[in-house]
Amino acid sequence: MKLNTGERWDLIDRISKETVTFGAYQHTLKDAIGELTVKPMTGIPVAIAVMYGFWSVFGSFAGFFTDGFFVRLFDVYWLPWLQEVFPGQGDWLYAIMVDAGGFESGEFVLSSNCLESFGVLTSGLFVAIGVVLPAIIIFYLMLALLEDIGYMPRLAVLLDTVLHRVGLHGYAIVPTILSLGCNVPGVTATRILETKKQRFIMMTLLAIFIPCGAQIGIMQDVVPGLMGWILLYLIIGYFIFGYILNKIVPGKAPEFLIDVPPYRRPMLSNIGKKVWGRIAGFFKVAIPFVLLGCAIVGVLYQLGVIRFLGDALAPVFVGWFGVPKETAGPLIAAFLRKDLAVAQLSAITMTPYQMITAVVLVSIYFPCVATFAMMLKEGWKELLGALAVLTVVVFTYGGLIHLIGILLGVA
Amino acid sequence: MAGQSSGGAVYFAILGVVTTAFGLADLLVTASGSEFAYGGILEMPGDIFRGGWGGIIVLFAGLFYLSGIRNFDDIHQFAKVVMGSILIWVVAGCDIFAMITESIPSWNEETGPWFNTLPDFIAAYAPPYAPAVLLLPFSLVVIYYVRKRASGEDGGGNSP
Repeated sequence: MKLNTGERWDLIDRISKETVTFGAYQHTLKDAIGELTVKPMTGIPVAIAVMYGFWSVFGSFAGFFTDGFFVRLFDVYWLPWLQEVFPGQGDWLYAIMVDAGGFESGEFVLSSNCLESFGVLTSGLFVAIGVVLPAIIIFYLMLALLEDIGYMPRLAVLLDTVLHRVGLHGYAIVPTILSLGCNVPGVTATRILETKKQRFIMMTLLAIFIPCGAQIGIMQDVVPGLMGWILLYLIIGYFIFGYILNKIVPGKAPEFLIDVPPYRRPMLSNIGKKVWGRIAGFFKVAIPFVLLGCAIVGVLYQLGVIRFLGDALAPVFVGWFGVPKETAGPLIAAFLRKDLAVAQLSAITMTPYQMITAVVLVSIYFPCVATFAMMLKEGWKELLGALAVLTVVVFTYGGLIHLIGILLGVA
Repeated sequence: MAGQSSGGAVYFAILGVVTTAFGLADLLVTASGSEFAYGGILEMPGDIFRGGWGGIIVLFAGLFYLSGIRNFDDIHQFAKVVMGSILIWVVAGCDIFAMITESIPSWNEETGPWFNTLPDFIAAYAPPYAPAVLLLPFSLVVIYYVRKRASGEDGGGNSP
């Protein structure tokens, strides 16, 4: 049967008369609260409160497990036991697997805690299980809760105008927040952006300015008092360099349309599935890289490669970035594991401003190997472009932070 | 009904003024870089996170209350009052969660028990409290008005 245009409209009219009820819609409290969270005047205070709740619960939960139990478990029981039972104290295998230790007056001295031992079975396991795991669990739990309630689309709408300034749109908040857990799913999530330009900008900004959950967890543990300043520098850098990239990268940055769902009561089964899926993915991708990264860093230290590079690059680190020469080693090791690099930095004597600069440099210096591999999967041209931008950013932004310190009289 | 609504408006006006004052005080204390305690029950943290960031949210909560009290019966205005309470619940909830996580481990890095002793566990919940925790019981009054409005809606009445 074939209908002409008029007959089609008649059919539509008949169906809508039978199925659609017309009347004045009355707003419910849920609707009104939903509107408040997308209007800038009221939505921004709510977003500030949501982020506060997110980080407060993150810090309390991660601190509860890491400082309350795991530090003691690893430092008081696991490390001394391994130091005693693992054979070959002082040789290279012992240094890579258990404790690189140090030398005092020509004698080998064992480390007193898992953050300084740099062994695969000590620092590697402590960082993976004792620091990163609690941080990742609570991060993904909070994220799943916000998604299930229906807050994330509202945050996307709220930040749309701001993110357009950096060539992105509201949806860019999804890869950005995912990257705060782990940069790997963050890079994958850049596919929700429509154009090549947007995906390139997003991937580059993620790789440079968004610290992953592992790094945030270890920062919270070793430099809690400086966290605010470090994150502030990274946020400022995200927007400055995003703005510049938007101006110089050719291509389009289209508008986006989004259907904002009503607020809903979160479903435990949904949250459980999401959190489990993400943690399982994290275990598969990130944990092997933590342990492998730890082993490779250990081998490079044993071969003297990191010391050699550190000495060679020392003038740049001291003169341009204003950080001590000793930070060169951790900064090179950061390519393999940024979280371990932050732990290494905590063992170096520095002024607070030098510590802020060094940790910011670790964040912006290079994506970790796992993220690097994921970016390569997205396209080698994009990866090369991102690395070129990254090199420029590290030198300009690192130098700029040093300059700010000099002007403030704190560097 | 109208009398009850105006009662609600007056209540939240007073709560709004107190909340705004607490928020401003939080910010001033943080800016001064020191802590402030009063009468063994109130303590304003001087750190940038709880005092500064938390103080801004308490201040916003007060402003939400104050902007929502005019035409209290209107659903959009009432939503602002509810949002003011939600902001207080976020800050107070985080403070209480932090108290819980700090009260359970012994925080002993060497030897001794893994968990806190009962007296220390209970002592962790003793005053002084942050402003948001003190405001929490007063902010819960909004639930009464939400329920009252919901029962009104069930009966067919609803403000446009």
